[in-house]
Amino acid sequence: MAKDIYIGEVSANEEIRHDFFLMKITLPAEFDDPLPGQFVMIRILGLQDPFLSRPISIYSFARRKSGCAMELLYRVVGKGTSILAGLMKGSQVEISGPLGGSYTIDPMKKNIVLIAGGIGIAPLSLLAQYLCKTACCDADTMTFYLGVQTAEAVVGLDHLKKYCYKIVICTDDGSLGEKSLVTAAFQKDMKKYAPAETAIYACGPKPMLRSLSTILGKKYFCQVSLEERMACGVGACVGCAVAVKDGQGNKAYKRVCADGPVFDLKDVIWE
Amino acid sequence: MKKQKTDTTALAVEIAGLKLKNPVMTASGTFGYGEEYADYVDLNQLGGIVVKGLSLKPRLGNPPPRIMETAGGMLNAVGLQNVGVDVFIEEKLPFLRQYDVAVIANIYGESYAEYAQVAGKLSRAKGVHALEVNVSCPNVKKGGLSFGSDPKAAAEVTRRVKAETHLPVIVKLTPNVTDITLVAQAVEQAGADAVSLINTLTGMSIDLQTRKPHLKNITGGLSGPAIKPVALRMVWQVAQKVAIPVIGIGGILTTEDALEFMVAGASAVQIGTANFINPRATVEIVDGMRHFMQHNKIKKISDIVGTLKT
Repeated sequence: MAKDIYIGEVSANEEIRHDFFLMKITLPAEFDDPLPGQFVMIRILGLQDPFLSRPISIYSFARRKSGCAMELLYRVVGKGTSILAGLMKGSQVEISGPLGGSYTIDPMKKNIVLIAGGIGIAPLSLLAQYLCKTACCDADTMTFYLGVQTAEAVVGLDHLKKYCYKIVICTDDGSLGEKSLVTAAFQKDMKKYAPAETAIYACGPKPMLRSLSTILGKKYFCQVSLEERMACGVGACVGCAVAVKDGQGNKAYKRVCADGPVFDLKDVIWE
Repeated sequence: MKKQKTDTTALAVEIAGLKLKNPVMTASGTFGYGEEYADYVDLNQLGGIVVKGLSLKPRLGNPPPRIMETAGGMLNAVGLQNVGVDVFIEEKLPFLRQYDVAVIANIYGESYAEYAQVAGKLSRAKGVHALEVNVSCPNVKKGGLSFGSDPKAAAEVTRRVKAETHLPVIVKLTPNVTDITLVAQAVEQAGADAVSLINTLTGMSIDLQTRKPHLKNITGGLSGPAIKPVALRMVWQVAQKVAIPVIGIGGILTTEDALEFMVAGASAVQIGTANFINPRATVEIVDGMRHFMQHNKIKKISDIVGTLKT
């Protein structure tokens, strides 16, 4: 039995922007180091409503003497996240994880491009941390593109800006950075990134990823983190299905939790 | 050492010749093929593992979204996505053979002949100890529920499967009928060795903002503690009408839930949706049963089966 459910203690849970929360959780030392792209299932200890645990990607992770410090950056979108947002310092949560697979890292790539839409910044922040600290990538090779609706909705740059110097921010209303879609801003720079020398990682709303897939075609290496409603988080319920091409190019439903959450963008079928 | 031996026999149950270490099994579709939860639970501690429903050919399943949380439970419309019986035997069964646990293969067909073929293949495979016949899936267009809601069709499926196998045959019943006891009696007469109930209740959920159903399939099967009272009532009704063992399923989260089903007449239970929120639910329920027996001076767990006082 390699895995367990861990009891974590909330050490902070603050609304950093309207509807965006940063939860800091202290976990026992037995909790495994997460790989970038992995997520946890979280539920409030002893509470059966909401019934299911919620999948949330890991925003940052650090090992301390007393245990592990994990941060979850999340947006309130429904009942589960609303209840999580109400947790006070000292509350106990049940954490299952780290779950799912991770991004494929190739430190030899000359250009590493991270593209996030809104809260999609969370797993990419952990990825940037991993690339700099563990995979020893040069910060100069990384460029980060962030798309948000408005300046008020910019979250999650705190860690990232330590690892990534080239940051392009796009807003729908032009209140910060470029007034453009993040995919359009990336497309404008695309000539700089030769397909063979570039690795692209993206996370964001489905329309953004779909548009990215059209822009990139088949030449680029690009991995994306997907999101679906989940029940178990370990591959048993087959609830979090996403349509992808299998090895033979046929349509198959894969589980975001166990087969993902990271997929090659080329394989994703947009239904 | 001696104490442990007493414990082992005290929890053991036998269902239609199928020997189980304890009366707690995993419900089909909630525990994958066992490997998904093997890191969390010592599979040797389980009474049995009922694997995800198997069909003759691999099935793609329904388009997403497939699940939605509801009050005290969830809806699912997975649509029996599975690897198919051949891949199961080749790739999944060897893993399960490593464990000392009863493996029950849940089977599904779109026709009588398909049920029979799947049953035949599994009966010839090494490491399958019983078959559970799914005549109750609400999420597929062909087969499934249409067999389970008609006593004659359910009986015919049972006969065809029985003709192909030497293994104990459990028929899993749907609650989406007017009188579940009629189907239970029909499959008993057709030779079923046991019945398990209930499968999910058909339900739906709507997003008011978009006025669309939350599930792409529009309707789905409701599971979780919300359905427990319905399941308990049906187990009680069926247990009074059939002589074959009844396996209780439906919203069991705790030891108390499981024991209530046994008091209502279930010889064993299956744990389903609870696995999703607590992967160790099954083994915790087994532990709880041990404590309950000690506390209440019960020698054999089967002594409480059908002891409802009315």
